Amino acid sequence: MKRKVLSAFGLLAVFVAILFCLGLPGSKAQAKTYQIGTDVTYPPFEFANKKNKYVGIDIDIIKAIAKEEGFKVNVKPVGFNAAVQSVQSGQLDGIIAGMTITPERKDKFDFGTPYYKTGAVMAVKKGSNITSFKQLKGKKVALKTGTAAADYANSLKKKYGFKTVTFDDSDNMYQDVTTGNSVACFDDQPVLQYGIKHGLKLQIASKPANQGWYGFGVKKGTHKQLIKKFNAGLKIIRENGTYDKIVGKYLGTTANPQVKGKTFTIGTDVTFPPFEFANKNNKYVGIDMDLIRAIANEQGFKVKIKALGFNAAVQAVESGQADGVIAGMSITNARKAQFDFSKPYFNSGVVMAVAKNSKIHKLSELRGKKVAVKTGTSGADYANSLKKKYGFKVVTFDDSNNMYQDVTTGNSIACFEDHPVMQYAIKQGTKLKIVTKPALNAPYGFAVKKGHNQALLKAFNTGLEDLKASGTYDTIKAKYLGSDEIKTAAKTSGNSAEDRTFIGLIKQNQGALLSGLKETLWLTVVSIFFATIFGVLVGLMGVVPNKFSRGTSTTLIYLFRGMPLLVLALFIYTGIPSLTGQKIPAFVAGVITLTFNEGAYIAAFVKGGIEAVDPGQMEAARSLGLPFGKSMRKIILPQGIRIMVPSFINQFIITLKDTSILSIIGLLELTQTGKIIIARNLEGFKVWTIVAAIYLIIITVLTWLSNWVQRRTKV
Amino acid sequence: MSEKVKVTNLVKTFGDNEVLKGINLTVQNNEVVVIIGPSGSGKSTLLRNLNKLEEPTSGSIVIDNVDIARNDVDINSVRENIGMVFQHFNLFKNLTVGENIMLAPIELKKETKEQAEAQAKKLLATVGLEEKFGATVQSLSGGQQQRVAIARALAMNPDIMLFDEPTSALDPEMVGDVLEVMKKLAKQGMTMVVVTHEMGFAKEVADRVVFVDDGQILEEGTPEQIFEHPKNERLQDFLNKILNV
Repeated sequence: MKRKVLSAFGLLAVFVAILFCLGLPGSKAQAKTYQIGTDVTYPPFEFANKKNKYVGIDIDIIKAIAKEEGFKVNVKPVGFNAAVQSVQSGQLDGIIAGMTITPERKDKFDFGTPYYKTGAVMAVKKGSNITSFKQLKGKKVALKTGTAAADYANSLKKKYGFKTVTFDDSDNMYQDVTTGNSVACFDDQPVLQYGIKHGLKLQIASKPANQGWYGFGVKKGTHKQLIKKFNAGLKIIRENGTYDKIVGKYLGTTANPQVKGKTFTIGTDVTFPPFEFANKNNKYVGIDMDLIRAIANEQGFKVKIKALGFNAAVQAVESGQADGVIAGMSITNARKAQFDFSKPYFNSGVVMAVAKNSKIHKLSELRGKKVAVKTGTSGADYANSLKKKYGFKVVTFDDSNNMYQDVTTGNSIACFEDHPVMQYAIKQGTKLKIVTKPALNAPYGFAVKKGHNQALLKAFNTGLEDLKASGTYDTIKAKYLGSDEIKTAAKTSGNSAEDRTFIGLIKQNQGALLSGLKETLWLTVVSIFFATIFGVLVGLMGVVPNKFSRGTSTTLIYLFRGMPLLVLALFIYTGIPSLTGQKIPAFVAGVITLTFNEGAYIAAFVKGGIEAVDPGQMEAARSLGLPFGKSMRKIILPQGIRIMVPSFINQFIITLKDTSILSIIGLLELTQTGKIIIARNLEGFKVWTIVAAIYLIIITVLTWLSNWVQRRTKV
Repeated sequence: MSEKVKVTNLVKTFGDNEVLKGINLTVQNNEVVVIIGPSGSGKSTLLRNLNKLEEPTSGSIVIDNVDIARNDVDINSVRENIGMVFQHFNLFKNLTVGENIMLAPIELKKETKEQAEAQAKKLLATVGLEEKFGATVQSLSGGQQQRVAIARALAMNPDIMLFDEPTSALDPEMVGDVLEVMKKLAKQGMTMVVVTHEMGFAKEVADRVVFVDDGQILEEGTPEQIFEHPKNERLQDFLNKILNV
């Protein structure tokens, strides 16, 4: 039976795969796409970051150049040797992989303008007393195959009498030295520098030798056009500062020592354009996003953006789950009691907007009508302060989009929103118009929990000043609000160009939907795993002949079955860190929430299932002399489990659906993904239809499976 | 004859309800004692106290010189020597006939599968069901199930067997086969305590018949004394009722 269940899951997987294959890219790029090979892992030049996205100096440079020159690249991390060979065989068009330009390589490759200067250095274990090559005599030295540094070491080998061990990747090479197998290794200087900065327990013990340059290579005599474009693009990014920014990002030249290299979690709103919103590629952009990233870049720290929604973001900072919040947050006296604010980075004010064809244009016309606001915003505060005077009712929403829709559909007569946000939304096609002048002029600030993260706050202020001085600040602002840019912004977010049919929407968002689905399934599977353990344990505690254990079981079931999932999720995500001072990643909080909640239900039916087994079975087993535990295991559980199987499968389906509730703590599962896509394209009906269909398909398969298993296990 | 079981002043209460009101009963080795009495009189409770399926409230139950009413007794090892046969058979529904019989010997006596299997087949032969070794429990009739249950109890080589109304749940045509097996056991000298309404069985097989009513033993004696010359009024009543149906 087990095998059949597995194969049914396989079927499900195939089903899902087919669903997404249907939406494979049909839109052929007009610009040429080049296939570029790179190394698997050669930080800081190329490596997968925590999100498994390839980043690094090489990757950022080739992408920046491609952008400047209007071509596309598909970077493939195939490994250094494989990349070299693939370029030679014509499988790949070019290679950028921290590849030193050497005379031998020039026989086979044409190189672009050198883009990075490097040299080979020797590194030894931290604290080692080796400082010269002479001390290597008779010892082992670790090298990485095919690197210029390895060539250099091999050239010294005879003279200094050391042995070499060769590895296929840098990590293993370093480890061979840190564990003491080898006494030293040779590698390119920036690579080692970066590694050491990130905690590698090595120290550099020689001056850079065999200095050379890294170059972008193509097969000799081919792709002249590509080399030309590379050289032209490199020149542009060197001149406009992008190059320095990229290098600085990884090697942290201008970094602020207090925050350097640290990663801060920054909470933000799910959708508050133009300050934060997911673009077509579902990457968070906007004034806030660009600003915090530019400041982080400049100050040498890293940010992890968490689009939690405004309220959740504010709570996350208060509870210590996030280090700071940047979410178009007005600086108010009330908030100052809880937060320390940066210098204002944007001046805003609240306006009233009504449906395009509405005749309302004054606050006094709102008497007796409904007005939509978004929770926790200055717009909401403003509306609440006026509602007595003007006699209107307030309806509260959790995100801007729903608030706008309430006005366009006529449920509410007007809404209150920050001026730039309203402006941007209208330009994006929201059918509203602004009818009042900005009121309550309130500046936006970046906030940290009062008394905490002062270094981050200081870095933000310094960075903001620098960005203002360098003009970057104005560029960012103009990108989203400048009159010329608005059109391009509208274009990039693609209101007119995007295909708005169902198929079109699936095609554009398949990546996001797929990763949302993956998160949903992953969350479901992990939660079910732990919930089953928890549930079975608590259920069993409920049937053993021990008053204390039965009481505990009953209490746990009562507590976790009685608490709404939403409340439990928020309690665990924001409450626990406030109590313990320990951050919990959203995914973990989500899994804990589901484990307790679903586990309580599982416990209840496990208990029930065992109790449903004829008590005579236990008596017969016990009267043979079998102890309680053995009787349970051999006789009662096998019969009880048969009774429980349908309930288990039912619970799995419920768990899958319940994951959607975890969107509240910012988990990017299927529902949250849908929310974000809608925030960008405002196609609520169609996107929710797609999301609903995906849930239904999976649940249909699961239901079918459940019926099948039920038939199978009938006694 | 030596004493196998000696029950002294056994009291059992369920809440306020006193079900056994001070029972004194002795069972000799190789003796067959049949307990009769109206339903609700406490005879099943008395039997279930003998292997502690019910916890005695007070009094003592000495089996082979060990008072099992005490709390510090290793009840599991005591039970290994006491076979129990239930009214509703209680065969393990998740196991086959053979597995039902082999489970305890393998788990508790650490017999190998081969030993247990050989013994199980032998026991099935004695109850006339050798061909049912691999059958599922659900495929057997009630009478067959009860005979397997007896074989299961015998697999641990107990030196006393308790029968709790073993034929009450059977269709009349099945009763004979089960009683036949029990008679055979009695002939082989097994010590047996049987709660039953089968007066024919009691007359034929019992060494001693015990009449229980209202939680007390009102009369005991040989089958002849009990059935031919009952002294107690309630016993006379009881016999009138069941023999003149």
